[in-house]
Amino acid sequence: MSSETKTEKQKEKVGVYICYCGGNISDHVDVEAVRDRTEKIPGVAVARTNMFMCSDPGQEMIMEDLKKGIVDRVVVASCAPSLHEMTFRSAISRAGANPYIYEHANIREQVSWVHHGEKATDKALVLVSAASAKAARLKPLEPIRVDVVPRATVIGGGIAGLRAAIDLADRGIEVTLIEKSPFLGGQLSFLDEIAPTRDKAAHLISSLAVRVLNHASITVHSCATMEKFEGYVGNFKLGIKKQPPQPAAYQGKRMHFNMSDMKSGEFIPFAGIYAGPVPSATEEFVIDTGAIVLATGIQSYTPYQGEYGYGEFKEVVTLSDLIRYLAENNTGRSLLEINGRKIKSVAMIHCVGSRQIPGIHPEDTSGHLNEYCSRTCCSATLNAANIIRETCPGTRVYEFYRDIRTYGRGQEELYHQASGNGVVFIRFEAQEAPEISKNSYSDEYPLLVKAKDVLTFGEEVEVPVDLVVLATGMEPNKISEIVDMIKLPVGADRFLLEVHPKLRPVELPVSGIFLAGTCQAPMDVGEACNGAAGAAVKAVALINRGYVELDPFVAEIDIQKCKGSGACVEACLSEGALGLVEMEVDGQKVQRAQVTPAFCLGCGACVAVCPENAVDVNGWTLKQYEAMVDAIVSEEVAS
Amino acid sequence: MESKQVLNVDALVVGGGIAGLQAAIDLADQNYKVAVVERDASIGGKMIRLSKVFPTLDCSSCITTPKMAAAAHHENITLFTYCDLMSLKRHGNDLTAFITQKPRYVDQDKCIGCRRCEYGCPVYVSDKEQGEFSARKAVYIPFSNAIPQLAIIDVEHCMLCGKCEKVCPTEAIDYFQKPIDFSIRAKTAILATGFELTTVENKPQYGMGKIPNVIDALQMERLLAPHGPYNRVLRPSDGMEPDSIAYVQCAGSRDKSMGISYCSRVCCMYAIKQAMLLSGSLPLADITIYYMDIRAFGKGYEQFYQNAKAMGIEFVKAKVAAIDAGINGSVMVRYEAQDGEGVTMANHDLAVLSLGMIPGWDPEGVCPVSAASDKFIKTVQPKISPTLTDMDGIFTAGTAAGPKDIVDTITEAGAAAMEASKYLVEIHKGHAA
Repeated sequence: MSSETKTEKQKEKVGVYICYCGGNISDHVDVEAVRDRTEKIPGVAVARTNMFMCSDPGQEMIMEDLKKGIVDRVVVASCAPSLHEMTFRSAISRAGANPYIYEHANIREQVSWVHHGEKATDKALVLVSAASAKAARLKPLEPIRVDVVPRATVIGGGIAGLRAAIDLADRGIEVTLIEKSPFLGGQLSFLDEIAPTRDKAAHLISSLAVRVLNHASITVHSCATMEKFEGYVGNFKLGIKKQPPQPAAYQGKRMHFNMSDMKSGEFIPFAGIYAGPVPSATEEFVIDTGAIVLATGIQSYTPYQGEYGYGEFKEVVTLSDLIRYLAENNTGRSLLEINGRKIKSVAMIHCVGSRQIPGIHPEDTSGHLNEYCSRTCCSATLNAANIIRETCPGTRVYEFYRDIRTYGRGQEELYHQASGNGVVFIRFEAQEAPEISKNSYSDEYPLLVKAKDVLTFGEEVEVPVDLVVLATGMEPNKISEIVDMIKLPVGADRFLLEVHPKLRPVELPVSGIFLAGTCQAPMDVGEACNGAAGAAVKAVALINRGYVELDPFVAEIDIQKCKGSGACVEACLSEGALGLVEMEVDGQKVQRAQVTPAFCLGCGACVAVCPENAVDVNGWTLKQYEAMVDAIVSEEVAS
Repeated sequence: MESKQVLNVDALVVGGGIAGLQAAIDLADQNYKVAVVERDASIGGKMIRLSKVFPTLDCSSCITTPKMAAAAHHENITLFTYCDLMSLKRHGNDLTAFITQKPRYVDQDKCIGCRRCEYGCPVYVSDKEQGEFSARKAVYIPFSNAIPQLAIIDVEHCMLCGKCEKVCPTEAIDYFQKPIDFSIRAKTAILATGFELTTVENKPQYGMGKIPNVIDALQMERLLAPHGPYNRVLRPSDGMEPDSIAYVQCAGSRDKSMGISYCSRVCCMYAIKQAMLLSGSLPLADITIYYMDIRAFGKGYEQFYQNAKAMGIEFVKAKVAAIDAGINGSVMVRYEAQDGEGVTMANHDLAVLSLGMIPGWDPEGVCPVSAASDKFIKTVQPKISPTLTDMDGIFTAGTAAGPKDIVDTITEAGAAAMEASKYLVEIHKGHAA
């Protein structure tokens, strides 16, 4: 092999492994051409290809070459490093080599998915040669090992937060639960009988909340919010503020109760489980925690003034209003009665504030549309319809829907039951939504719902009703302070964005912070609890290991060059990462910069300002960058 | 012959699909010893057989293979492939699983996965892994990224010509291999037994098996997969590139005539995904999806559906009544149009049945855990602890407990691992007391 003569001259032997990614890369990049040309790059000992580098045979190929000493530096050219950098690092470790002799070239997201033809192949080669040039200059590094604080903090006391807290505590971990209101149970507290099992919300919440309140390893702080955040995985510091409840926060929620009469653990209908005495004055304190589970939940969508007559006609209410009426006033008479008013005919309108389409639905005041499906409203609406039909058979129910999404176990049965119960279904297209108007034909029914029914070949129907129920969807709770503090990614739908929906569905890019429940996306109770338990299991693994290994991509000072100017300390963005210390050099006391690796972000701000070029970020040194740039502009590669 | 062996572990995971693997990894990461028992010759389950997955359109292999590798290399996980679970019963605090390892007729300690036997074998057999569109040999490695990379002899088709034995460099071929019985003793178990596609035998009016250009959605996955049978989408009868493709939704779900009244939860999304991939590989083809309700309920799913509509994929609200063979290999889809046209016949080059899910395993006679009326494993606290079965210490995850997409399956697998680890702590306390 011709490459063998080359490797004798070069100290480092770079192995380049190029992935087809099925056809994801090879459909647009001539992978074999990249391999042929890469093999000719000085310093590259071997270049190989595989259908899926991340598969076992692909990883084995790298490990074989390392074990045989054919290569001692590795470049994989494949997808984004966020997906598989760790996969390949751990393969290198398994082969007995240092995992930091690895460099990743992204030729999928940055090449094959955005370029086509020869240009794609050329760019792939440029990226691969830059990565190879850097790889030849990589040094083995040791990860920074730090102890983990054996405590987890759960933010949010809804059903997901409760589930996560119990799971963590049952595994022997000290848990702090932070809830902004005086009550546990979250949005589930505002419901009654949960579809499709008709479990009582009160029972579901109580079964978890009572255990949380009595668990020796769980501390609950109600009326508390997170005000400060610092630290890193395993060692977070959270500033918590407890405040007396603000009566304004409960206005409009029809909460007429006196908290001084309540007992801790008592279930208050349509409020939740009272978490214990509320603070009488503001308190602030700091919690050290190893992991954080975010369970900040959702709020119900509020229809805008005039949306399906909401706010214009008093007979137009939301589904949660109806659920409360049903729970508090259901007398089992022939007709449903609300505030003394007999209801003979109810229209239920699906997808209010969900599945909004640009150009059809108006944006909200901040310019957003809820384009997503809220997942639970179809079943909840059908459940309410069935309860009405079964307990007040004289009341007729009309469902105006776009698609019935009874996807879950036991949910399709609800749909069947509703049909059996005589609920009338009218299907509308998004661009021809039902219109609610005052009924001028008769005094008996105050409102008229007009719609074009797809199911009867587009027939125009007019349904006189005395109640319109809007199946309002979910919106993420407003947690912009937390998002800004921790710098969390948020999707276009405004829910928190996981690292990857399948690879790491409950993790955030900030390591040590996990997602539980509906802060991630609309979910029903079971799904939220699964999400919470899934988040808890990750936090348990992290905390019970006792330590974390942080990537050693941190600043390092060359003491020979440092003259103690302090420019780096001033430029440093992370408190405590850089400082000047006194030391003796050649018998003289001098000031020199020193790095505290665990706090260093590896941002390189210090590198840019050092007048002596005495700082470098390990794994990303100036020399490595120079080599990459040289490779990119090299004529050999371009030709 | 090996005698009856007993392996002691903390947790047994039944099923090495994506749910089982995720649950095993989450338990093993907590330092518990885990055994995974898989009936197939490779781990990876249904997911590794897919082309790309919704709504991110990641290639399925890119997501599955690293989890397969992570489980295979985890120091706390032992994988048992090609093994049948004969019984799983409780004895006091222990669960005992009796396992039969089926003979591969290849010594797994000697086989190095070099495939020389496969290249040498003269027998071609229709390959189920490729939707029966192409052939494999009678001795073969199940598929390119299978774990373990061990050859297996298909005795039904092997002619005993001895070629594989001659070419094998490690003398791994063993025509006389016998099944091996062994048992695994565990404290807790997770049932992640997955799903199978609904059979359409009860729905003769859809023509599956009789009309060559009616295929099922898993076959289409193979046509779309990167190393599929043809490396492009061709219809089976004559190898023509289809210009018009029909998707028949709820073929085997929400259909009482077939005894399956539930929604299979993934078919709307996979049909939309396939339609999108098809518009990439066959840009001129017309794609029509016949549906009852589009159930795009998950994160990013509705947006995915709206994108498909914007791409020109046609959605027709109708339950297809029948599919008949047309001329020149075409298929005729009969449905009631809701725009006033009444009963309509539409001509397509290829029809894809969006089949639903049925349980992959029946606990009857094997394990005293109950199945619900839908025949999936019964869960007793579907709201606050969805992975609990009616047997203490036995949990379930993924499609074993009802149809589920991959995202929900992976999350639920984590939840099952959480419950199982809590149970392990609990019984450990019981012992200490």
